[in-house]
Amino acid sequence: MTTWPPLLVAVVVVPILGAVLTPVVGQWRARRAADWALGTMLLTSVVALLLVARVADGGPFSYVAGGWEVPYGIELRFDEFSAVTAIICLLGVLAIVFSRRYAEHALPEVRIPYYYALLLLNLAGMLGFSITGDLFNLFVFMEILSLSGYALVAVSGEKIAEMAAFKYLVMGAVSSIAVLFAIGMLYALTGSLNMADVASRLGGAPVAPVAVAFGMMALGFMVKAAIFPLHIWLPDAHAIAPSPVSAILSGLVVKVGIVGMLRLYQIAYTSRALDLEALNTVLMWLGALSIVMGAFFAVFQDDVKMMLAYSTISNIGYIVMGLGLASSAGVIGASVHVFNHAIIKATLFLGAGALIFRTGKRTLTDLAGVGHAMPWTVAAISVGAISIVGIPPTAGFLCKWYIALGAVEAGHPFFAFALVFGALFIFIYYIRMVNAFYFRPPRDPAILEVREAPASMLVPILVLATLCLVMGVLGRIPLSFIEPAVTRLLAPIGGG
Amino acid sequence: MKRALVIALLLAVAVPLLIAVADLPPHGSPDAPAHTHVAPRYLERGAEEAGAENIVTAVILNYRGLDTLGEVTVIFTAMAAVLAVLVGARAVTALDTPASALPVSMIVRFIVRVLAPFIVLFSIYVVLNGHVTPGGGFQGGTIAGALVIALTLIMSDEQAARLLPRRPERVLQAAAPLAFIMTGVTGLLLTGDFLGYPVGHESALVATLMLTFVEIGIGVGGAMVIATIFRTMGAGR
Amino acid sequence: MIAALWHNIDYAACVVLFCIGLYTVITKHNLIKKFMGLNIMETAVFAFIVATGVVEGGNAPIMGPGVEPPFINPLPQALILTGIVVAVSTTALALGLVIRIWHQCGTIEADELREAE
Repeated sequence: MTTWPPLLVAVVVVPILGAVLTPVVGQWRARRAADWALGTMLLTSVVALLLVARVADGGPFSYVAGGWEVPYGIELRFDEFSAVTAIICLLGVLAIVFSRRYAEHALPEVRIPYYYALLLLNLAGMLGFSITGDLFNLFVFMEILSLSGYALVAVSGEKIAEMAAFKYLVMGAVSSIAVLFAIGMLYALTGSLNMADVASRLGGAPVAPVAVAFGMMALGFMVKAAIFPLHIWLPDAHAIAPSPVSAILSGLVVKVGIVGMLRLYQIAYTSRALDLEALNTVLMWLGALSIVMGAFFAVFQDDVKMMLAYSTISNIGYIVMGLGLASSAGVIGASVHVFNHAIIKATLFLGAGALIFRTGKRTLTDLAGVGHAMPWTVAAISVGAISIVGIPPTAGFLCKWYIALGAVEAGHPFFAFALVFGALFIFIYYIRMVNAFYFRPPRDPAILEVREAPASMLVPILVLATLCLVMGVLGRIPLSFIEPAVTRLLAPIGGG
Repeated sequence: MKRALVIALLLAVAVPLLIAVADLPPHGSPDAPAHTHVAPRYLERGAEEAGAENIVTAVILNYRGLDTLGEVTVIFTAMAAVLAVLVGARAVTALDTPASALPVSMIVRFIVRVLAPFIVLFSIYVVLNGHVTPGGGFQGGTIAGALVIALTLIMSDEQAARLLPRRPERVLQAAAPLAFIMTGVTGLLLTGDFLGYPVGHESALVATLMLTFVEIGIGVGGAMVIATIFRTMGAGR
Repeated sequence: MIAALWHNIDYAACVVLFCIGLYTVITKHNLIKKFMGLNIMETAVFAFIVATGVVEGGNAPIMGPGVEPPFINPLPQALILTGIVVAVSTTALALGLVIRIWHQCGTIEADELREAE
């Protein structure tokens, strides 16, 4: 199956065009902005699906904007890892649908068009980030998505939202600068910005600058991915943001750090400029620490969204550990967990958003008994909870199994223990949540009177919950889909 | 204790960085990879194949046009972000700031008024001459934006509000990305590549027109965005 | 090592500037000063990248009659133009947030804000 080559550029340009026109369309009525944003994202999804279908069929392909040859123009490259575009579009569409009622309730009306514009820009930035094959272009898209992300955290105007956003902004900006510094060094060493070209020219470069550049880049991406102990910006930002934004931030934006790490590994492994043993070891340990610490902090949270935010740190820990293991099964499990965690965490955050929308309460204590009033929403949340713990046959199980397998394969059974231990912790706190929703007596009987979430919220939640189950049953498909990319990634170091 | 930690952290950053930059190719040497790999092509053929004598402009608008599309998107994002954060804020002012600052002196008033037309002229010059001299759309747009800011300072709020066109305001704010995407699509129709510019002697005029259109779009968009950000921030005075 | 560093003194200066910025970000409590530190870091990196494009005795890369090679490398300059716009945008948003924090909390000192929470 072939596609029209410039289609690759459309997956970025369409949402940008939609975003800059959203304030124009929403000038008179805010609802029009919602419709417009939804239309834009649906169109983008069609493009993304065509691209994913092509990569599944014929492997990676690329397109250079402006018709230049490769190192001179900017190459957009779509490989198996870029298939994350499909999940970005899916969550984007669902978050926009969910926002329709939520935004009207939570935001001042004049802000709504800008809210949708920023949401689209954020998605466009992520789409661009995951398909670009050029280092500086990577930075530009990273800034689009970071900047819109900071603003989306603050958009609700709640009291500590701005503080959370500022903290996020400072950490995010420092990490972006570190990445840019690294890109500058790689440019000084190779004279090129194209990733594949840089990788091929890095072989004879002096070791010290290459090591520092890789280190800075890894550090920058780890801040974006919120690895312990660089996670301190995440809990407040993700908990205070409007729920659809939390779903996007937790499900997708932190994964940008992971995709960035994958790109870094692609360059580093291909160039064979230096041995990455040290970085891998650091990643394994930090991953294990994140799993345990994230889960540990989550247990003590009463605020539902805060708990989910800490659980994100824990799950990112799994992914990073999988990457650090540098064994085939580990990296495959990690890559697929990027997809699955996005779906699961979006289910949970949107579910929590629906609860907050109807009840106005956000702590486990206050929400006790809500399961009887909002059965569908809470059922979906429970599905999400079971998935994230990793109980078969749900989406979370296979990836964690693969990562554990990878740990044994790479000769680090200790890390498999960390993983199981983390899973136990996660099990405790999600059981606590489900228990509170269903079995604890309500603190305030009025909570039994609230109505089920409106259709525009319920449909996205149920779609996601269904996907959690479906991905569990069909879990082998993404695993075998990503496998060629991982094999290619690890081939230069003799893995796979 | 805290001081020691800070010093340790700074050393942990500085020492590896210094070791790294010491090993980089020598500064200013024409044999460094940065000067022998991609850049020579830009320098040798940029003027003819990219349609701008200023090679920096050729790189920005043509070779690496997608970056610049990203750049204008970033600046639009900044505006949307500032508006989303500041507009319609629920007034929970903890501290009342004085309603208005000092009255502007006559000298400032006079000088801004006298200079205004020249600044406009200069900004247009910078926008339109970007492909042959240092400058370009964003630089010119910034100058125009600065003028709007200067005028805002000497006017009452009502007068200042009339400075920016009211009706098509939101279209103009998006002018830069819109102009870029329109040019990109035009390139797609003419050459079959997004952001492609027709090459060759006979179509040089078309390429120049497209470049100029982008520059004007970036200029107008940049000026509008900067003025809007400034006004939004000043609105809560 | 020292000799090599001396040759790359421009890069070393950027590293020093970078660390000054980082120091400001870490130690200052005032949010605007924190952000100025961030701007210093950004400037350091921009200066570094522009410096990678310098050629000894090079001319500005603007073609036309009467100009001679060698030329300065145009690519880093083009990149940094984009980088500057990105930095300006981040600054704009940061200042917007600071304005809101001031309105809501009446202070922009990080330590006082922490107490207020």
